[in-house]
Amino acid sequence: MSLMQFALNNLLRRPARTVLTVSAISLGIAAIVALTSIAWGFEASWQKANDARGTDLIVTRISSENTMPSPFRAEKIQAALSVLPHVQEVVGLLSELLSVSADGPPVFVFGWLHDSYLWNHLKLSQGRWPNDNKEPVVVIGALAAEMLNKKIGEHVEIEGKSFLVSGIFESNAVVENGAVIMTLAQAQQVTDKPGKVNVLNLKVDSSTNEADLRNIKQQVKHTLPGYIAITSGELVSKNAVVRISKAMSSATILISSLVGALVVFNTMLMSINERTREIGILLALGWQRITIMKLIFSEAVMLTMLGGMMGILGGVAIALGLEQIELMRGKIDALFSVPFFVLVLGLSVFLGICGGIYPAYKASRLLPSAALRYE
Amino acid sequence: MTLAANHIPMLCIKNLILHFDDGKTRAIDGVDLEIDAGEFVAIVGPSGSGKSSLLNIIGTLELPSDGDIMLENQHYSTIKDASLFRRANIGFIFQSFNLIPTLSALDNVIIPTMGCGGDVDKYTARAESLLSQLGLRDRLSQFPSKLSGGERQRVAIARALINQPRMILADEPTGSLDSVNAGQVLDILAEVVKQQGLTLIMVTHDSAVSARADRIIYMRDGKIEQGGTA
Repeated sequence: MSLMQFALNNLLRRPARTVLTVSAISLGIAAIVALTSIAWGFEASWQKANDARGTDLIVTRISSENTMPSPFRAEKIQAALSVLPHVQEVVGLLSELLSVSADGPPVFVFGWLHDSYLWNHLKLSQGRWPNDNKEPVVVIGALAAEMLNKKIGEHVEIEGKSFLVSGIFESNAVVENGAVIMTLAQAQQVTDKPGKVNVLNLKVDSSTNEADLRNIKQQVKHTLPGYIAITSGELVSKNAVVRISKAMSSATILISSLVGALVVFNTMLMSINERTREIGILLALGWQRITIMKLIFSEAVMLTMLGGMMGILGGVAIALGLEQIELMRGKIDALFSVPFFVLVLGLSVFLGICGGIYPAYKASRLLPSAALRYE
Repeated sequence: MTLAANHIPMLCIKNLILHFDDGKTRAIDGVDLEIDAGEFVAIVGPSGSGKSSLLNIIGTLELPSDGDIMLENQHYSTIKDASLFRRANIGFIFQSFNLIPTLSALDNVIIPTMGCGGDVDKYTARAESLLSQLGLRDRLSQFPSKLSGGERQRVAIARALINQPRMILADEPTGSLDSVNAGQVLDILAEVVKQQGLTLIMVTHDSAVSARADRIIYMRDGKIEQGGTA
């Protein structure tokens, strides 16, 4: 029998306590995994959507920190940007989170300039694209079609105006898959924001290098006060919702870690108090104090490793479940990664070590003669 | 030079003192004792006479307040790691068996070897052999709760022998057994100790048990009244 088997044996001695401890740890780890994967997924979904469109830089208001920046009049800014070196296309985009049916969840409604490069990455699976800026039609993502239960030829009502569903498309970005897209002119009209956009998407020519992009950013900064040119990654990371999600995820990690370590601490302390005499026997039989510590640490780490593994599975299940909630569908795409899971398991081991330090030390410092007298 | 002058005892204790309460209570009060290799010594005396404390000090489970104690030329005061010393030299047998309830008889015997980095198969084979020798060949996988008192104490004897110690310290090993089982356990212990040439120091209240010893040491009020010298 090895030390590990002996440690496992000790944990199985009190199955109810072990199950409760593992459950408490796994709940904490599940919360960490679920919230972190959703926070990262939220960020990644928006970045993926921006990247998928082939946008090189995004121009928006400096102070804007919403998921979609607050709208501004595009005409003059667009004209100024168009003449910058290497800039090939400047395309406005308007977006709102709107209810498009009485009983359905709110969905993102995007207004994209007709015939712009923004449409190129979408794959039309059914129907057709809008014919021109004036046609009151929408195309909907495959996920949005499923959520809204809409087919080609049916109508959706947006802000009191009826739009024909002319096509259904697919996109790599879940945010777009769950969205309704119409032309920019239609979006400006239906949201009562004529001439306004949330962002201006810049596409640069193929000869543009990093220095040129930095130069464009500088020029925007100097020539267009109140506006900023940033990459999609920068836009997403300065987004207040992303930052709040990440802050919540960090707070969850901290709280769950503290709770996890305390749970392990309490369990191991109870365990060694119950086993004082037994530890005395082991010491009398020639066990070194370091071996006693190894035993206690092994038990603590086994508890947290098991809790960590169950927590990861639970966290993935929670995140996948949250994605399916009507309100969340098509807006988040939880991001799971093996390195993150390894990190979480590492955190679990760390919690076991932290929670086990004092109990292991206390057990190892017992005087064998006193421990043997313990009843 | 005479033989007596060359005689070097295995265990030599000089002016051993153990006191509590800042010296107000003396559990052991100036004990001098010599025990030879292979000797079976019984320590008897009334409760509170210091028998178990003396055994604990010999077993390095407790530190003396004063005095010198030496096992084959090694002064206890020079021992750096008491656990390693115990593992190499001493086997313990307790009155209440002190087996780990969640381990089988075989694992209980192996447990003192755990963490010392030796050959696990070798220890397992030795534990099986010891248990067979003690008549427990068909009880290897039984847990302590399924064993009789006599069987438990035989497992404890095997456990005391697993590391091939030089000295067995037994604190009332038959105290929890009926007279039949006590007799059997004592027979087995005496035989194994004799076979392997081990020194046996046993604390007992039972005069029938002490009668089998090579020497009986009488203790009272922390002092040896009789039998301190071989």
